[in-house]
Amino acid sequence: MNIVGKKVVRLDGYEKVTGKAIYGDDIQLKDMLYMAQKYTDTPCGKIKSIDTSKAEKLDGVIRIALHKDVIGKDQIGPIRQDQYVICKDRVYYSGDVVAIVSAISKKIANLAADLIDVEYEVEQGVYDITESVKDEKLVRPEYKTNVLVHYPLRKGDIQKGFAASNQVIEREYKTGFHEHGYIETESLVAVPDPTCKGVKVYGSIQNPHTTRREVAKFLGLGLNQVDIRCSNLGGSFGGKDDTVNSVACRVALLAVLTGKPHKISLSREESMKESYKRHPYNMKYKVGFNDDGKINSMEVDILADSGAYSAQSFFVTWRSVVQATGPYEIDNVSTDIRAVYTNNTYTAAYRGFGSPQVIFAQESLMDEIGQLCGLSPLEIRAKNGYKQGSITASGQILEKHIVSLEEVITKATEDMQYSKKVKEYQDFNKSSQRYKKGVGLACSFRGCALGAEGTDATSAIVSVQQDGTGYVSTGLNENGQGLRTTFVQVAAESLGVNYESMHFLEPSTAAINDGGPTVASRGTIMGGNAVLNATAQIKERIFEANKEDLGVDCIKETTWGNGFICGKNKVKFADACTKAYFAGYNLSAYGWYKAPEVSWDEETGQGNAYFTYVYGCQVADLTVDTHTGKIVVNKISAAHDVGKAINRLGLEGQIYGGVTQGMGYGVLEHYNIQNGVVKSKNLDEYIIPTIKDIKEISPIIVENPDAVGPYGAKGIGEPALEIGAACIANAFCNATGKRSYEIPLTLEKVFLDKQLVKPERASEAHKSNKDVKDIISKVNMFNPKNIQEASKMLLEKDNAVLIAGGTDVVIELRGKQTPTTLINIDQLPELKGVAEKNGEIIIGANQKINEIKENPLVQKHFPALVEAISTIGAKQTRVRGSIAGNIANASPSADSLPPLVAYGAKVLLFGNGKERELTLDEFITGGYKTQIAKGELIKSVILPIPSKNYEYSYFQLGRRGAVNISRLSLLTMCAKNSDGSIEDIIISCGALFVKSCRLTEVEKILQGKKLDKELIAKAEDCLEKLIEKQIGGRWSSEYKKPVFINLFKDSLEKFI
Amino acid sequence: MIINFIVNEKKYSLDADPSKRLLDVLREDLGLTGTKEGCGVGECGACTVIMDGEAVHSCLVMAGQLEGRKIETVENLEQNTTLSKLQESFLKHGAVQCGFCTPGMLMSAKALLDKVPSPSLAQIEEALEGNACRCTGYKPIVEAIQNVDKV
Repeated sequence: MNIVGKKVVRLDGYEKVTGKAIYGDDIQLKDMLYMAQKYTDTPCGKIKSIDTSKAEKLDGVIRIALHKDVIGKDQIGPIRQDQYVICKDRVYYSGDVVAIVSAISKKIANLAADLIDVEYEVEQGVYDITESVKDEKLVRPEYKTNVLVHYPLRKGDIQKGFAASNQVIEREYKTGFHEHGYIETESLVAVPDPTCKGVKVYGSIQNPHTTRREVAKFLGLGLNQVDIRCSNLGGSFGGKDDTVNSVACRVALLAVLTGKPHKISLSREESMKESYKRHPYNMKYKVGFNDDGKINSMEVDILADSGAYSAQSFFVTWRSVVQATGPYEIDNVSTDIRAVYTNNTYTAAYRGFGSPQVIFAQESLMDEIGQLCGLSPLEIRAKNGYKQGSITASGQILEKHIVSLEEVITKATEDMQYSKKVKEYQDFNKSSQRYKKGVGLACSFRGCALGAEGTDATSAIVSVQQDGTGYVSTGLNENGQGLRTTFVQVAAESLGVNYESMHFLEPSTAAINDGGPTVASRGTIMGGNAVLNATAQIKERIFEANKEDLGVDCIKETTWGNGFICGKNKVKFADACTKAYFAGYNLSAYGWYKAPEVSWDEETGQGNAYFTYVYGCQVADLTVDTHTGKIVVNKISAAHDVGKAINRLGLEGQIYGGVTQGMGYGVLEHYNIQNGVVKSKNLDEYIIPTIKDIKEISPIIVENPDAVGPYGAKGIGEPALEIGAACIANAFCNATGKRSYEIPLTLEKVFLDKQLVKPERASEAHKSNKDVKDIISKVNMFNPKNIQEASKMLLEKDNAVLIAGGTDVVIELRGKQTPTTLINIDQLPELKGVAEKNGEIIIGANQKINEIKENPLVQKHFPALVEAISTIGAKQTRVRGSIAGNIANASPSADSLPPLVAYGAKVLLFGNGKERELTLDEFITGGYKTQIAKGELIKSVILPIPSKNYEYSYFQLGRRGAVNISRLSLLTMCAKNSDGSIEDIIISCGALFVKSCRLTEVEKILQGKKLDKELIAKAEDCLEKLIEKQIGGRWSSEYKKPVFINLFKDSLEKFI
Repeated sequence: MIINFIVNEKKYSLDADPSKRLLDVLREDLGLTGTKEGCGVGECGACTVIMDGEAVHSCLVMAGQLEGRKIETVENLEQNTTLSKLQESFLKHGAVQCGFCTPGMLMSAKALLDKVPSPSLAQIEEALEGNACRCTGYKPIVEAIQNVDKV
């Protein structure tokens, strides 16, 4: 093959590296208006009244639309239409929209939305699935029960199986919400279309034909009156479907009501709140097995949180019921899965689609069964794993494709040197107290495409031009995964032309038939076949026109490659096309591909669920810091049978990205929602992996060509993500000997074996559902010439705030309603510089964190400061953020403060014509509180050069590899006498108390003495009492107290 | 307020709304939509541009702070219809998928490479730690930067 299987540069790469690629928010149209959404103020309740009068009076507001303005069907949804696009008389979750505003600018639209007063009869919602399933309070009374779907699966007789088993165990697993975290938020534009009295919608749309269906129904239009054109998608991962559909409906409504184009781009906070997530699952597994590890019987009972709407729950949970028992042949299986309504954020498709949850449970269970039988994870899987001809839980015989479970396990574990590491780490862990290393594996089988969940067919158009170049269009959609490239490769390979001569033409929904959604890793296998169907038709026609020249009678006697068609004679493809065109042949063809038959019995859960399957295995190597609960992932080896690689570059990219998302799911990503109120508002509170979070990923491509797939190809998108969390959980257990039955493995989950979040009372929910708008309402900016002028401005102007780097100030301005006057001191020379004077180093207030880090004087005298400030925010933050800003913000977790406090830093304040010097302890009075007076600003930070020769130990604890808000930090500086006793010791803390401070009581115990275990224990005792006294009652002290004490002991031990 | 500054080697004298951020000025006033917004709070790095030689979050710089500044955006990387080596390397190594983080990634990488032509892995990770990518798992991006000279 010439093109298929190679590393190919993606087709849309050029536009993307030049900034020319158009995404939803980049669309700008003449006379375009903006939409803003008024979200509910409470997650659950009745709407008593909506008062839009204040909003309407705002200059620039064009129109406000409520439920009564809806033209067509007021509810949408893929199976059950249960979501009011604009709320009618009730609200069901925090992301519900009660009104929409049209205005001449984004800012005005958002300000107006805030002016809409809604009165509610607030109700206690249902937030816990175990409560919901009892049906004591109905989330949606109209459906009579909270259970919206129940799939049973029955194979054999589980009771018999349990009776025949030597061991029967029961385990319960839990997974949380998971946010897609696409970097582009939802962004849509709607334009009235007078040509068909309809509407066109553009933007970040994953499944344009689905969006068209919903918009048409909502507006009471025919499908041919709504045309959808996708922009480039800035990531989707299953996430830009249902939510995008509801936003598209709203923005289209405004376009129709006003006759003007409208745009909306959600702020990250709005996106976090409104968009659906991955379903949280509670999973009960009961399993019976023999002492030799053979599993006889498995009973699975799963409860899924669908949130306020059913959305894709019908489909998501169906995949779970097929795959819940993993790639293992078990004679007796009984699985039940139910999805229930709650008043939480609703849940729907996310890459994996009901599989990552069950894989986590199933693969954790396999390791445990192995352990109970004295078998290794490899042995237990070899014993029970699928082989050629195995029968699945749904009774399907795996015979029409290569069952490569063993192969992927072997390849992934060999790449990891799994068995060697198991032994190595056993030894390592015996001698290492604090850090524990582990390796763990997990594997999966996954049905390709939609399977029996729905009709599975898709479309493609290939159009060859008279010069031999051509276009490919498909009913499936580029989500960023590289689908355009893959399809063009398939078309070019089939036609025997080079990759560059084919171009992907993104069709609007009007231009191609509904090819189903771009989901279920069905793009390559389904769409690729549709492309091949089209090229085959064209090839026939080209052949017909050229067969005399080729000298053969049958197309089977020809080969097509390198731009030539070869029969007995060779004809240039381009010439053949020219000839065919002028002979009147149609060189365009509509390709269609319908998947092979599948079957399903709803009563028994038996049938041939999917026409083919893929197999994957991932192995994780990680280190656990048992003193803090932090997991560092060292490496993940990922072996995936993809059938056949089409674009190796894209394929590896899918594996890298999927593995990283899986790591986030398993370790970092905890969507905090309490009483229906979303606490993970932005990407500082919902943390996704950074470049520093997985050290190594090794993609291993396994190819067993599929009988059905185009060139044998199957899929990779979802398999790459679904296994990561499970193998990490197993590696964690291998490292620590402790099994976690819940993910993510956050610091607190690892350390305390429970998630720890700031508790919130239900009664506060109403107050805290306020939106953060992505607008800055009113700002005046002044650029003073010197600090005297700056001080004067601070005194004279209303609501005056200093701004230097802006890394805190600008964030504070977002969504603020009151006008602010910014006094920009960023370019004042007198606030810059680092100088040595009289045994002190004087740092200008606006010296940037990065400049200080790189300053030789600072490096020489204050190495602990250099180390500590290196972890402030990201590089971009350190380049802009100033030292005075970090101090004046007075955050309890500010990273500059522990070293500044330890080094005895002072701040020089200037204001009201005079200067004053304060120690940091005097200056900072509490969390986010300082002594700064009106008209004052920090002029410089003064650091006395230490008179003693201190060695230091610094530890900063963050949740991930970089860009952390410190959970805790500790600096110990110690100078020793020649006899080894402590000459002086300074200990300061960060993120522990309301402000950074020295632990003087503890220091006193240590001063002058010789460090030994006994002394450390004495100091520890004092520290414990101190922490207890200061923060003992706080929610976080359960974690922070013991961890800080651990860090304290570790730090002191370094000085023994 | 009037601000005089340079964007992509071109001088501008602009009457800017002081409530706008550099990001808004670029996207709305100058039509340079290559720079993206992902979070508005300096967490994702999609809006990264180079200001006076340093990679900064354009969502956290106010318009009124731009006087005399020199800004470079992704639109400046291709010169005379020729892609820069960095752009070529991103393409070659599969460092681009959905492409939304790409402009910010490129600018963070360029700010680094302008100072350190052959950066170590640690330097690359430090320069890009503030740029979130949800598609690529970062590895191809690191490879692209490490091999920029081999394009």
